[in-house]
Amino acid sequence: MSQKKDIRVLLGNVAIARGILEAGCHVITSYPGTPSSEIMPAAVAFKKEMGLDVYTEWSVNEKVAYDNALAASIAGKRSAVAMKQVGLNVAADSLMSSAYQGVVGGMLIVSCDDPGPHSSQTEQDSRFFAMFAKVPAYDPSTPQEAMAMIKDAYDLSETFQIPVIFRPTIRLSHGKQSVRLSPPDIIERPAKFEKDPGRWAATPRFRLHLHTKLNESLRQIQERFEKDERWNYEVGENSEANLGIITCSTSYTVLMDLLEELNLKDKVNILKIGTPYPLPHKKVVDFIGRHDKVLIIEETDVVIESQIIDKSKVLGRFTGHIPLQGELTPNVIYGILAKFFGEEGVADLEVKVDDELAKLVQDLGLPVRRPTLCAGCSERAAFWAIRRALPKAIYTSDIGCYTLGLNLGAVDTVIDMGAGITLASGFYQAYHQDKNDVPIVATMGDSTFYHSGTTSLINAVYNNARFVLVLLDNEITAMTGMQPTPGIGITANGTEGQKIPLEELIKGCGIKWLRNIDPYDVREMISLLKEAHAYTKSEDGGIAVIIARRGCVIRYPEALEGQKIKVEITDDCDGCRYCIDFFECPALHFDEENERVEIDRKLCVDCGVCINVCARKAIVPVGEEGQ
Amino acid sequence: MMRMKTQIILAGVGGQGVLFSSRIFSELGLKLGLEVTGAETHGMSQRGGSVVAHIKIGGYQSPIVREGTADILYSLDENEAYKNLHFLRQGGLCFVNMTDGGRFDKNIRDHLKKKDITFHAFDASGTAMELGSVRAANICLVGFSVGTGLVPFTYDDLKDVLQSISRKPDLEHNLKIFDTGVDLGKKQ
Repeated sequence: MSQKKDIRVLLGNVAIARGILEAGCHVITSYPGTPSSEIMPAAVAFKKEMGLDVYTEWSVNEKVAYDNALAASIAGKRSAVAMKQVGLNVAADSLMSSAYQGVVGGMLIVSCDDPGPHSSQTEQDSRFFAMFAKVPAYDPSTPQEAMAMIKDAYDLSETFQIPVIFRPTIRLSHGKQSVRLSPPDIIERPAKFEKDPGRWAATPRFRLHLHTKLNESLRQIQERFEKDERWNYEVGENSEANLGIITCSTSYTVLMDLLEELNLKDKVNILKIGTPYPLPHKKVVDFIGRHDKVLIIEETDVVIESQIIDKSKVLGRFTGHIPLQGELTPNVIYGILAKFFGEEGVADLEVKVDDELAKLVQDLGLPVRRPTLCAGCSERAAFWAIRRALPKAIYTSDIGCYTLGLNLGAVDTVIDMGAGITLASGFYQAYHQDKNDVPIVATMGDSTFYHSGTTSLINAVYNNARFVLVLLDNEITAMTGMQPTPGIGITANGTEGQKIPLEELIKGCGIKWLRNIDPYDVREMISLLKEAHAYTKSEDGGIAVIIARRGCVIRYPEALEGQKIKVEITDDCDGCRYCIDFFECPALHFDEENERVEIDRKLCVDCGVCINVCARKAIVPVGEEGQ
Repeated sequence: MMRMKTQIILAGVGGQGVLFSSRIFSELGLKLGLEVTGAETHGMSQRGGSVVAHIKIGGYQSPIVREGTADILYSLDENEAYKNLHFLRQGGLCFVNMTDGGRFDKNIRDHLKKKDITFHAFDASGTAMELGSVRAANICLVGFSVGTGLVPFTYDDLKDVLQSISRKPDLEHNLKIFDTGVDLGKKQ
């Protein structure tokens, strides 16, 4: 009986979700973050398509997501937790401990790396976390390979009772490939927690024992990886070639396309590594032994290279052959090959860049579209009000769309999730120590506040800090693609969960001064901010919190219905550019020829906020000119 | 007939349907039984931002096209075309959606000629708008390219793909806009 082949072109993250379900996973948790965000919605879509009973959850942060998945695995089920690479920092405490205690059902930790970085604070390499925590890592090259690897990763995880890190890079997560789908494995696993305090509640004495066992597991896993020809294999049997390249992840695919394009396949042998930790060391040593020089091309850092003990024939980041930062794009790898083959006298690759074209395009002076808040974004209105109300303040902020408050000069710091509040309290204490209190305005989005704002705020209240906190509540996790939050109470399945209103949470953190406002009302918001600042200065004052609430204009366009104010620019516009430079709405653009501002009707959503911005009152509601 | 290996760059700004075009070509590859890889690269979530999609059909492994090696560039926006021309190989094809092709920078056009790149400007948005759907400019531009006879895809194959991936209510309309594009391409 032959079934029709189900081949589809899938986004890497969608293939990963599919692979997780095909492997019979029971519980999937995640916190959104580029480049991992598409995994959860795809898992929900596939489980509905295939009628699978899989528990899926958007968790409030990565550590919480990790622990929820871990519990399912301890109870014997198969679980997966998905996050971006910096999310693993948040979940690191859980990862380190659970590496010792292990799992019962298979557990996959998907941590999507972002070399570039395209949309992250760092270029950190999640495979180092695998080394650090002492858990095995899989490093897929293509969506199809990712799907196959996931099945093996679950088998490994259950065989050795250890959580496994699965590390795609952004080019895999956001790449596409035609992949072959299979029906899911149906694995019956009723939850069954077997009490074992020496393991699940291990005290330090037992921890030493667990560490010993972990080291033995790693030794056996390394042996398994040595023998595994599916993930660690050689390409090309050029017995004449005395050059070798060891590579992994999407860099492997880029390399293979380049060797094909440049007709250099017979000049070099390739060792492809799919399990970088623990490294199949014998295989690597054997490969190096058969060649005069071996180049290591791996993204993003020196995980394979640093595990090689004898580096006398090895070229890579330690020898300056590979850039220490940035993405290994096809052009970068081309440059690496040109140097490598050139030095070894194998091929003379011309590094040709069309400089003339680059110059011609540069001379056009095309508008550079820097990332900016959308036209009609309520966060722009809030930032503008903050700038106006407290122009001399220190502005601490956080990770989200609202990081772009940078463009309005209303964001001075962005460190990591939660730091919008902790830096505000830290600055307060540092200045207060010198009896030199300065105004401080912290901004944070709703999803970030649920993620890691509450602990920061409790700490600030407890220690008598004083500052203004503006919570930018757009009622969605907008930046990563509109995932729901506890504030709206919709779950990953699209069904209803419990709502947890910000107001209750903030009061519970001990805040005594709390106000709520629609930031489109910028005049009112400016006076509210001044009132809030006065409270921070008053004798019995403390932290003042303003919830600036208006739904994301992209997610909830209907919220504007009945409130639209169509605006026009009058002849009073003298081209001062204030609105362009300090309000920075993409729907306002400067007409260089006529030296005045114009409205781009394709982008304008008729929010009317810009009416407040022009000092010359040259932005007016349509039909009110001259009134 | 389709060449065994084809690399395509699709460019535009958010809302122009670059990702739908990318779907057209990935489904085309599938239909022809060829391996498809590709990538979507876009800036932070925002309206009006640059969107670029890479599609590689016929036995490539990596998802992204190297500069100077793309066979075809489709751009739904003039400025995005300039920004992505460096992807085209010597002798490649360039199709740009713009109201007045004469306004395309002359120096750059001369430079493309030197590189043996065939350049076509076509008012796909205007044509699609006349037919009642400015959002289908992407389909119109692809149709135009097929009409010129320069691209390695057949009319029938692309029509089949459109039939299978268009939303039902859009189908008839999409095919009409595609056919109009093809006819205008033939007149080139």
